Amino acid sequence: MVMKRESETAAGNWERQVHKGWLELAILASLWEQKLYGLDILRRLESDSDLVMAEGTIYPILSRLKTDGLVDTKWVEGEAGHPRKYYWLTAAGRRRALEMARYASSFLGRINDLISPLLEREEK
Amino acid sequence: MSHSDRLQQRIDSYLMELRRCLGELPPDEVRDILQEIRGHILERAEASGELTEEKLVGILGNLGRPEDIAPLYQADSLLARARTSLSPSLILRGMLRWAMLSVKGFVLFMVGLLGYSLAVGLLASAVGKIIAPHQVGAWVSPRTFSIGTNSNPAAREVLGWWLVPLGLGVGTVMLVATTRLLRWFLRFARIRRPTGDSALARP
Repeated sequence: MVMKRESETAAGNWERQVHKGWLELAILASLWEQKLYGLDILRRLESDSDLVMAEGTIYPILSRLKTDGLVDTKWVEGEAGHPRKYYWLTAAGRRRALEMARYASSFLGRINDLISPLLEREEK
Repeated sequence: MSHSDRLQQRIDSYLMELRRCLGELPPDEVRDILQEIRGHILERAEASGELTEEKLVGILGNLGRPEDIAPLYQADSLLARARTSLSPSLILRGMLRWAMLSVKGFVLFMVGLLGYSLAVGLLASAVGKIIAPHQVGAWVSPRTFSIGTNSNPAAREVLGWWLVPLGLGVGTVMLVATTRLLRWFLRFARIRRPTGDSALARP
């Protein structure tokens, strides 16, 4: 019983580490086509990916992306009754997103080759 | 106190706690962060229909605890300021933050500490030589070499007054070189975000 719980905890930790690693690419990808504000980005992540996270953690990541010159921002007064901080990719951000996407695609392909025998065996 | 006042008070106390945890950040940055988080809460609240205390607790819970979120901003801000600063104190604080999170950061922090210690030691010796010329100097004994004050009767002073220009010159070069080196190291500092799994997991 205790061993099973430990194994579930280890699996949960591993999943969280994987999610953390993918988060930056997911945020950059969500900004590829349009300017979005924080909650919009979060909604994109919720609907298009399985990156479950504490919502407040996305804002420090966006802040770092801005510090690194990958995104730019502007406060916009809107219908919401309060200003929204919009984010968009800079030229450096687009380059970085493309590099990360290429790497991720090739990496996922290789991992998929590696793990597909496991899944095939499970199906049988 | 009305229902909406109570909800407003709960939002305000969350933001006040976040402001307290953000402590050392520049005021402009704090204002920006609080405005963005406030907007997030209000928008989630509007989207939830009629806002109840239970729903608000859920919104704040999904956002994460202020004490978990604030360090993620602090690490970024401190490193960003340290990377472009000329202040040894700020640069060392940035290095210390990095040192607390990785072995590489710790090793480089120790290198920086050594560089600054040597620089300060040389500058202090140069000034000390002017103030107390007979007590401060560069001393050589059969087995040791030291700069500063001397308690070994077998040691003899070798540089004399040359310690003043040499100490000031080499000390200044070491101070500048250490600062430039640490700033260069800090370009590679990446503090893992989120720092704690508790900050990542949805409650």
